[in-house]
Amino acid sequence: MRELKPWLDLIFKRPGRLVVGGFLILATLLSGIALLAVSGWFITETALVGLLLAAGVAATINLYVPGGAIRFFAVSRTVFRYLERVYNHDTVLRLLTDIRVALFRRLSQASRIRRGELSGAQWLSRLTSDVDALDTLYLRLIAPAALAGLVTLAVVVLAAVLFDVGTALLVGLLLVIALLIATVGVYLRTWRLSARQSDRQEDLRTAVIEHIEGFPELTAAGRTGKHAAWLMRQAHQVTSEQAKADTRVGWHLAGSHLLVNLSAVVALWAGFALFQAGTVSGPVLVLLPIALLGLAEVYAMLPDAFGKLGATLASASRLNRDCREDKQPGTPKAAGLPPETALLAENISVKHSGYAPLFTRFNLEIESGERVGILGHSGSGKSSLADVLAGLLRHAHGSLARTDCVYLTQKTVLFEDTLRANLLLGSPEASDTELWGILEQMELAERFATEPDQLDTWLGSAGSRLSGGEARRVALARVLLNPAPLVILDEPFTGLDAETRGRVSKRMETLLEGKTVISLAHGSEALPGTDRVIYLSG
Amino acid sequence: MAEPSANGGGENTSAADQKAVKGWLADLARGSRLWIRSTVAAGTVAGIATIIQMVLLARIIHLGIIDEVPVADLTPLFLGLILALVVRALGQGFQTRFAARCSEQVRRDARRQLHKHWQATGPVELGQSSAGTLAREWIDHVEALHGYFARFLPQMTLSMIVPLLILALVFWLDWLAGIFLLLSAPLIPLFMALVGMGAEKLNQQHFETISRLSGQFLDKVRGLTTLQLFGQTAGAAELIRKRSDHYRRITMKTLRVAFLSSAVLEFFASVAIAVIAIYIGFGLLGYITYGPSEDLTLFSGLLILLLAPEFFQPLRTLSQHYHDRAAAMGAGSEILERLDLPVNFETASEMASVEGSEDRIELRAVGKGFRTDQTVLKDLSLTIQKGEVIALTGPSGGGKSTLLHLLAGFMAPDTGEVHLFGEAPGSFRFGWLGQKGFLVQGTWADNLRLTTPDASDIAIETALRNVGLGSLLDSRQQGIYSPVSEEGQGLSGGQARRLSLARIFLADYDLILLDEPTAGLDSDSEVFVLEALHKLAVAGKTLVFSTHHQALLTLANRVLLVSGGEVRDA
Repeated sequence: MRELKPWLDLIFKRPGRLVVGGFLILATLLSGIALLAVSGWFITETALVGLLLAAGVAATINLYVPGGAIRFFAVSRTVFRYLERVYNHDTVLRLLTDIRVALFRRLSQASRIRRGELSGAQWLSRLTSDVDALDTLYLRLIAPAALAGLVTLAVVVLAAVLFDVGTALLVGLLLVIALLIATVGVYLRTWRLSARQSDRQEDLRTAVIEHIEGFPELTAAGRTGKHAAWLMRQAHQVTSEQAKADTRVGWHLAGSHLLVNLSAVVALWAGFALFQAGTVSGPVLVLLPIALLGLAEVYAMLPDAFGKLGATLASASRLNRDCREDKQPGTPKAAGLPPETALLAENISVKHSGYAPLFTRFNLEIESGERVGILGHSGSGKSSLADVLAGLLRHAHGSLARTDCVYLTQKTVLFEDTLRANLLLGSPEASDTELWGILEQMELAERFATEPDQLDTWLGSAGSRLSGGEARRVALARVLLNPAPLVILDEPFTGLDAETRGRVSKRMETLLEGKTVISLAHGSEALPGTDRVIYLSG
Repeated sequence: MAEPSANGGGENTSAADQKAVKGWLADLARGSRLWIRSTVAAGTVAGIATIIQMVLLARIIHLGIIDEVPVADLTPLFLGLILALVVRALGQGFQTRFAARCSEQVRRDARRQLHKHWQATGPVELGQSSAGTLAREWIDHVEALHGYFARFLPQMTLSMIVPLLILALVFWLDWLAGIFLLLSAPLIPLFMALVGMGAEKLNQQHFETISRLSGQFLDKVRGLTTLQLFGQTAGAAELIRKRSDHYRRITMKTLRVAFLSSAVLEFFASVAIAVIAIYIGFGLLGYITYGPSEDLTLFSGLLILLLAPEFFQPLRTLSQHYHDRAAAMGAGSEILERLDLPVNFETASEMASVEGSEDRIELRAVGKGFRTDQTVLKDLSLTIQKGEVIALTGPSGGGKSTLLHLLAGFMAPDTGEVHLFGEAPGSFRFGWLGQKGFLVQGTWADNLRLTTPDASDIAIETALRNVGLGSLLDSRQQGIYSPVSEEGQGLSGGQARRLSLARIFLADYDLILLDEPTAGLDSDSEVFVLEALHKLAVAGKTLVFSTHHQALLTLANRVLLVSGGEVRDA
């Protein structure tokens, strides 16, 4: 349960909403129980009075109060139910925001290297489903369990008041067992199955993908049938475990239901003794068992939620593991830099953990204002070198110092957002004039001036699709807007045709006036103007 | 990030499409009708036991309070009551058990259908879809059928049976009270429609919001490095908050309306109980002078009251499961779209022509095109002797791959015949090496035994050494029984392709087809692949490969130029 603590803390940051939401659920549950209980009382009372009237005995009955109560509870159950659903869904959506924002903050504190491992499509989709599991923690699990306890207590107190303490204790005992069966019991019997469900499914997914990738080879070897049969067995194991968990949840629901009903039977049995002794009236005798029958509905939503608790805990612990904050690789500082030098790398090694080093004893000194080109064929490790120089990847040995820098990564990263928002990342204070200016330089001004939303044109899947070359120029524009004195450009002209590249490259000369530029590419034609070029081998 | 995001929604499915999906779901249900019927039967038993429970409760209360029978004399009734409770619990328990079984079987059937389709589609066409998409259909979409078969479908029947039983009993007890319930009965289809529409809208709205929010969130997570480079993570967090809040407000507007529909059902259920309670009370007092109310007793009155909530309960349960239906329809339409794709692969191995010589490969007047206007191979006749090493060369798109696929039996020719050593293509085992190597998680031995299950340890090790993986194997502690990828270190593309080649060595096939075996390899792997192919050629295997690589062309004893639909010796 420790896994849940950080997320529970987050949820309990809104105590007001939780209490109001809980109260609305409670009011709904109590209205439902009261509607039936009062109706039962009323019918019994009228039956008894009716018999007296029929026998000619003068008897009176107050129809006003019970009649009014029945009508009130009928309406209040509906109204509270509606309010509860609206209010609590609002709460869930708020919690969803809280959880996402908190998770994002934590992720942005996590080490960049580790996040590099954790960014595949599979990891992202799993992250989404793990977050979803936590969003509903309050509405599905915490509130119903807490309220079931509260309503049970209320009914037991009612039993003590209307009947006697002995009956109340016996009924209470049965209810507590029913509650345990519906909650803790389900959890204990399913957590193992439920916790590994997600891992099993991921393993299955890997196996299916392997099967499809190997389909031609397997077909040639005449093995698709055999391998598919193996896959079917794996899939069947996953579904049959799920079915096992479902069945257990079902039996626990039935069991707790049985005990709730039994408690009503016990109350009725004990009530008759009190009735015949004259301590309890007929209508009151009917009221308690009917109220107890109503409890079944309160308990009904618990087993399912507790059956998923194992999976929720697994989700939480995965999120805790992947999103833990840890030390950033130290960003290279300008301290210790000789005057008029923009970057000084001494004896550094570039290596990804677990792999052989790409470079050892790499030395580079760049004067302020210098334009350096670095050339190397694909796979030579130049992007890793750029990552090290920019501070994304920690160098293994040696020392590295540099001034502030801005870095255009080899991969074009644009956000699903407006053009303006994407550009402002580079320079949050830039005016519209400046933005149009840089777009003009990148030959994009015309492209966006014709869009209805101009600078607010939405980029990404939902909005205007950019070609590879256009997207690259937007990313380049964003970097050029940034005031940092050192600019690192990794394959700056990917996707640009030769003519555009020539024109853009020329304009960059003036735009980068006075800045130090390191550009990396696979061939000299893909470099902007340079003072000197370094060749990477191997 | 500016990438098309996967959208899982089938919201715009047309009516015809919906009908097809319903038909497909019904077919699946037919396959598991035994389990569905058992589920409904168990649910009905629970329903009947509930009715009996209420009858006994009302009876006991009537006898005890009105007739003042001593508790001891009521013992048989109490025992009957407990028996009814136990039967009810058993019914409930078996209902979920059978439902779980049903869904299990349905999912297995659906997966089998999909797999059959894959096999019928053949490796070439299947390669057109991404492995991730196919895996999602096979796993996630099939999983989405669970709720529909385990919960919605049986509940659909139960929500007819149980209320009808209750209605009949209430009519027998007091027809006026029965009419109160019946009055709400014509409204029930209306409820259902209302609830259905509400649930559908709710589901759709919820789905859209969640996927948009997830999209926004994932977009920022994916680009986190960029945000950090520009020092903008705090701003992005604030943006996530603002956007989420904005979506929340929009969603809540729709939800407020959507929840009204289920509130209507709730309202009718509550009001019906209240009306019945008050009617019975007044009837028992003798205030109602018409109709059957003078026959009301505490027994019948109380029983009607106890049954009224049970009358509405199945419907309320059904409305809770409505989203299961929407989910199954969405997933079903995507699965059906896959199953409806045309297949033309099976014909290849079914071509029953066993004529032709046993020691050569013959193509007779073979033609193949993909669209009517585009012919890849025209009227091609070719003879390859057993043991020859054939290199196919020529421009890309010239038909090299098509020719290989025809020889492999991965596709059938439009015209003409292909005979491989007197047999139809695809009817015997052969070696295939595609451009991507293929490996599964597991040990080296697992990977090699995938295609040759009975290979000995020594044979496996020899095969791996033949493709130059010996040194890698020596660095692993448990030899061929160590995992292929250790500590997150996978194989490079070249190593993976060599692993595939090792399988071919191990299996000792007569015919080996290779699609660009050296394309995109690092120089180390290239040397090993060339060496391995040379060994296979020396061993007398028939090798056919497409290539541009000079060293491979010299390895061949016959080079064929495939270009513009024609094949000639170069």
